[in-house]
Amino acid sequence: VNKVVVTGSGIICPLGADKASTFAAALEARSGIGACPADIAAWLPCIVVAQACVDPQTRLERSDQGLDRATQFALVAAAQAIAEAGFACPPTDSRRVGVFVGIGFGGSQTSDSLYTRFYKTLSDPSLKHKDPTVMHPLTVPRIMANAAAAAITMRYGLHGPSNTYSVACASSAIAIGEAYRAIRHGYLDAAVVVGTEAMLNAGAMLGWNALRVMAKPDASDPSRSCRPFSSDRCGFVIGEGAAALVIESASRSTQRGAQVLAELAGYGCSSDAQHLTAPSIDGQAHAMQLALQEAGLAPEQIQYINAHGTATGAGDVIETQSIHKAFGSAARQVAVSSTKSMHGHLIGGAGALELVLSIEALNCGSLPPTAHLDNPDPCCDLDYIPLRARHGCHVEAVMSNSFAFGGSNVSLVARRFNAP
Amino acid sequence: VAEGAPNWCAEAVNSTARKISVSDRIPGVTQVTSMLFDQIKNYLVETAGVDRQKFENPELKVADLKLDSLGLIEMLFEVEDKYGFQIPDPMIFLPMTFSEMVAAIDTMVQEHAGSQALKD
Repeated sequence: VNKVVVTGSGIICPLGADKASTFAAALEARSGIGACPADIAAWLPCIVVAQACVDPQTRLERSDQGLDRATQFALVAAAQAIAEAGFACPPTDSRRVGVFVGIGFGGSQTSDSLYTRFYKTLSDPSLKHKDPTVMHPLTVPRIMANAAAAAITMRYGLHGPSNTYSVACASSAIAIGEAYRAIRHGYLDAAVVVGTEAMLNAGAMLGWNALRVMAKPDASDPSRSCRPFSSDRCGFVIGEGAAALVIESASRSTQRGAQVLAELAGYGCSSDAQHLTAPSIDGQAHAMQLALQEAGLAPEQIQYINAHGTATGAGDVIETQSIHKAFGSAARQVAVSSTKSMHGHLIGGAGALELVLSIEALNCGSLPPTAHLDNPDPCCDLDYIPLRARHGCHVEAVMSNSFAFGGSNVSLVARRFNAP
Repeated sequence: VAEGAPNWCAEAVNSTARKISVSDRIPGVTQVTSMLFDQIKNYLVETAGVDRQKFENPELKVADLKLDSLGLIEMLFEVEDKYGFQIPDPMIFLPMTFSEMVAAIDTMVQEHAGSQALKD
């Protein structure tokens, strides 16, 4: 099997419009969570969201402005990752380079606009001379879940497979894992992997509101509304944005003299087969064990876990217990944090964003905290790096967890790369 | 006019060719036609990347715009969105000059406005 390495990454999210500013904000425990846009607040006054810190359109050409917002985020993050990897495009081995994307709600913004336009035209007397069925001809190719993957292949001339994974909150963790496997087992030599999501629109948020999993705004400071592992946690905050990675075989990266950010060393994946939304200790622990096993690491060799940590009542306790089950006595030593306390839950983008942050932590020895953790829940008894980042840590290997509605569990392990 | 194109289309082209052949700047051309000409031209120049110079040529062909089938219907959406109706067959415009197309669309806009007035 081939060793697989990460040679570039990029981020556009509520904490920053690039990787450096996002990681710096996370180390400062700054929150990107706040009030939601007026058109949503009109119907849902009691929710908070994590909007991307910049409109992706401002980072793209005019010809990209009609694309769905999730595709726009994906293009911005992919451009950063490809630039950092020093990846000349189209590459001469373009048939051996794939594109793997994870997204939860494909084309959510475009779908919402379609319905809004139809009903507005139908109900607004000043528009009665217009046929409500007239829609933009590219509505379907903008909504399709693989719109981002298609856009990236075309922009960079990548001719390998372009696969899109929609596995709720685990979408981009699975995209990374499957791309890693394809390279590891020789089907491909490199891949651009992106996790993206843009569902801060009225329709999607009405759905989330009905599920009763979203945090209530903190009365004194809305930016503190998402409090993972805290005794007063009250749910998650939906965020938007994208993160991207360029991964390739170690031999390809060595051949072209590329800098390596980390080795992708393990991918574990399991299904609970139990409940639509309730998490399971066995399923989560199994994913973590598989990832450790594939990486050939003992639990005590992992120094940092970026937890799924959504700040739901059940989720944080189950994940804590899962880490105990998978790590045994090493669970007491490992530092764990949920950066969702700051950037919110990017759903399809979450796995990629959190792995990129974990690899930053691996390389600089600074671990991002779990923000707003003033009152730890006694049932959550691990070291969650509360409130403040921890600097000067020696980190050899990191884990990033993503557990999805539908019972899909993914755990990824990255480690320092030692050139042969 | 394309073979198999509906009769009204041929009529539209013939009746409006007179208006259009003298370009959109000359009196006698309907205001809507002139607006349509500019609206579509501006879209093509600013969003689809068509060279502005091309529109100086009164014989400019729709085919010379080098739009693919998606590009063609995206261009028509500029009109559909503004006037609130769907243009039934985008392919009829392919053999026309740009001015003939604008004239044909103008006729459709008028017909749509007429049918709406009848409803009122």
